[in-house]
Amino acid sequence: MDLTRRQFVVGCSSAIAAMAGGRLGGLAFAEPGDINRDIFVVVFLRGGCDGIGIVSPLDDANFQAARSTITFPSSGTGAGFELGSLSNVPFWLHPKAAAFKELYDSQDLAFIHASGLTNGTRSHFDAMDFMERGTPDNKSTSTGWLTRHMAATRPDGVVPVMSTGSALPASLLGSPNAVTISNVQRYAMQGYSTYGAQQQASLNEIYSQTGSLLDGPATRLLSSIAAVKARNPANPYVPITTYPAGGLSDSLKAIAQMIKLDVGLQVATLDFGGWDTHESQVPILGNQLDLLTRSLHAFYNDLVDYHSKLTIVVMSEFGRRLKANRSAGTDHGHGNLAMVLGGNVNGGRIFGRWPGLANAQLDHGVDLAITTDYRTILSEIVVRRLRNNRLGLVFPQISQYQPLGLVRGTDLTIDWTSGFRSYLPMARR
Amino acid sequence: MSLSRRQLLLGAALGATGAVVHEDVGAAPLQPSTTEAMATPPFEVIALSRMAYGARSGDFARVRSMGLTAYVDEQLNPNFNNDTDCNTRIANATLRIVYAAGTGFPAMDEMRGLVTLNKTQPELWELRVHPANAERIRPIDEVVAANWIRAIYSKWQLFEIMTDFWHNHFNVWAYSDTRISSLWPYYDKSVIRANCFGNFRSFLEAVATSPAMLYYLDNATSRDGPANENYARELFELHTFGSQNYLNNIYDNWQEVPRDSQGRPIGYIDQDVYEAARAFTGWTVADGTGGIPNTGLFHYLDTWNDNAQKIVLANFLNANAGPQAHGKKVLDLVAQHPATIRNLCTKLCRRLVSDNPPSTLVDKAVATWTANYSAPDQIKKTIRTILLAPEFLSTWGGKIRRPNEVVAAYLRSTGAEVKPSAELFSWVTLAGYRMFNWATPTGHPDESGYWSSSNALLNTWNLLFHLQQSYFPPATFDLQGQMPGSVTTVRQIVDFWIMRMLGYQPSALVKTKLLKLMGQNGNLDQPPTGTANDVKLRLSSLVHMIGMLPEFYTR
Repeated sequence: MDLTRRQFVVGCSSAIAAMAGGRLGGLAFAEPGDINRDIFVVVFLRGGCDGIGIVSPLDDANFQAARSTITFPSSGTGAGFELGSLSNVPFWLHPKAAAFKELYDSQDLAFIHASGLTNGTRSHFDAMDFMERGTPDNKSTSTGWLTRHMAATRPDGVVPVMSTGSALPASLLGSPNAVTISNVQRYAMQGYSTYGAQQQASLNEIYSQTGSLLDGPATRLLSSIAAVKARNPANPYVPITTYPAGGLSDSLKAIAQMIKLDVGLQVATLDFGGWDTHESQVPILGNQLDLLTRSLHAFYNDLVDYHSKLTIVVMSEFGRRLKANRSAGTDHGHGNLAMVLGGNVNGGRIFGRWPGLANAQLDHGVDLAITTDYRTILSEIVVRRLRNNRLGLVFPQISQYQPLGLVRGTDLTIDWTSGFRSYLPMARR
Repeated sequence: MSLSRRQLLLGAALGATGAVVHEDVGAAPLQPSTTEAMATPPFEVIALSRMAYGARSGDFARVRSMGLTAYVDEQLNPNFNNDTDCNTRIANATLRIVYAAGTGFPAMDEMRGLVTLNKTQPELWELRVHPANAERIRPIDEVVAANWIRAIYSKWQLFEIMTDFWHNHFNVWAYSDTRISSLWPYYDKSVIRANCFGNFRSFLEAVATSPAMLYYLDNATSRDGPANENYARELFELHTFGSQNYLNNIYDNWQEVPRDSQGRPIGYIDQDVYEAARAFTGWTVADGTGGIPNTGLFHYLDTWNDNAQKIVLANFLNANAGPQAHGKKVLDLVAQHPATIRNLCTKLCRRLVSDNPPSTLVDKAVATWTANYSAPDQIKKTIRTILLAPEFLSTWGGKIRRPNEVVAAYLRSTGAEVKPSAELFSWVTLAGYRMFNWATPTGHPDESGYWSSSNALLNTWNLLFHLQQSYFPPATFDLQGQMPGSVTTVRQIVDFWIMRMLGYQPSALVKTKLLKLMGQNGNLDQPPTGTANDVKLRLSSLVHMIGMLPEFYTR
């Protein structure tokens, strides 16, 4: 064929953009909605990050005995950063996480130690299924916890929820309005100008009524493409900070650009894998942390105008075994570290309660115990920052609201009615 | 496109080329279904959507005339010598390799054949120390290219579908380690393909002793005190029992695990994983360190093995049982467990039928699998049971094609001339299907929800567009050349491509939209109006549009 690139357009015509005025595929195309709403970014470290190797009790004799071959020193070359104490135990931050030390010192970043999923699974995939569905004893729940949170807030923005990467995480399972956008510039359909527009309009009509498994996803795709296009996103996106190279930064930039497009984005999720350090942990964990912390530092400062309504949580499915294996790595463990970053975070502190590392204090005698349920952390953010009081819907298996003081904000009267069952059919559409 | 092709499109009565087999449009039912919902297609469409990467020209008619049973039996008994077109294409295929000069090696930029595919395992092992990283990765790219050629051109489509299934079931992230990447043709050929229709217990041991899996799940460094649990964990969770049979609340109290009627624990617990990890200590690779041979073959290192007694699935494994004895015993115990059999049969049905296969179908598969437990063709017999069960043809609409399947079906049904290259691989990866590049041991998900993301749909739809363009190297299209001279009017053109790509009539709404796209405002019973170039763009858009339809996606 003799076509050149000039002969087709990328994206949608004005006719398609006009469709954005109507209600399509579960997305209501009103204006961005309440622009004062907080923005919540969930970063999931896939593979089970080694929390006790990131924020470490270097003085603890049990820690030293179990980890001498794979830890970092508290002084001298390659020393970690002093963070202060938790339960009167001093902690140090991994030396490759220098970018986070800065955010910790500016009191924008807090750690929560010995936290996680109380269910005792050592399976990555079960642990993620439990956590992200928000039902730690049921991995068959058909909706994710973020899906239910969004249902309670009745989102009215044009793109209220997004994920980067190939597909939605389980936390957005059953979401009627979540889309995956890895690259804002490429979030457009290819076609020959007039005929491309006809294709899109026809597909929208066809997928509105076939009963195919793709009906909802396809109409949502078409309408969100129209919405993004209508806002004429910059190409290329020019951040105000310098991100490290790599896929993690690309994903963060996509989220940053979508936030700045004012499309009513309330929730964004991002996966970062590679934390399953069964082998050669020292170099792998160091590289992972270096990239994670520098990338999030660049992202956070790129969004400096949004700090007052931005909260970022960094979590993982479980921590790792206290004692190193003979492959110079660590196997699947239990208690872990969580991190919260944002303009309303009471940062510069380690929250939680340290359970200790003596055999009798460990989970099953081998792993860090959990003293803070991960839902305690998320509940506080949901209530104080995201202004959603429906914890009964978001986390149907908890019955208490016990904020740690991680973030600033007003507590609400909690609605413990679940509405969980009645919500399910809606989630399936 | 040549002038004569344009004339053909505009109605000039040129004969078809002999190489193209045309669909028998006239014999097919041309009445659109009366509702907007998708109709259930004829059996040959169901068979070619599930047992193949879609239909090439003539396939629907051929399967319709031979019948399902004969087609299933043909596909279950592949003769790879009888696949001349595909074999020739692989033999003649080239793939660019390009890298800058570095310490100890010059710059490279050449079109190179798929030269590693038939190298011996020791020859491949040598590649891992090549100074240029691109050379160490190259074997994977060659396998990817060969597998795309097979997906599009091989006669033995079911074998390719199952190869893909087992690569995902026994997923290895080939790009994660250059010792794995250099040996990749061996894993594809001698582990996955060699056992694809074979016996599961043998397959399991071939995987357990393959350097690719030993490196990927770290068992190669696992030694007594403490063992590395990575492989043992995934053996239970992913390769055999499935996490639905993980009783994590019991942790290490093996005596509390409920038993079935034959006294077997009904599931596995963490202690089983820990004990199995001990059993596999010393299962490593002969990499030349510490005085062991340097062949890249499996090696059992007794000095690393924890030979003390163990309890696995409530079975006592006595101390000092001999080389590899405990590991092999663990493989026996997990392979023969009913939970494993049901998990594997469910996964097969999920791949070959629908996301949520009928339990009656899984029951039939379990019966065949169990009755043929030791048979060398256990897997083949089980697949035959699934494909010939009534449930195979009575279920439709419960599964969509993954991006790689959409693309392969599109290329097959349009008669495109395909030369796999990096552009194709990277776009399919962008759409979410990362062939041999899926990081976690789960393999790619096999449920439609995952593949309905806006990212997967958008990148696949855009790739279907790019594939038709002259700037995009992997494929060349001649849509006009596919059509016989008798196909001239808008209606005939639309019907031709519907029958070629879908094999049955879509809903009335879809039909109306396709006619509008091809015909615009002209008379549907006349050749399309407009300039030759404009008509060409509409034909291209028509084929692209069919590739994005729910009917094309459903499998």
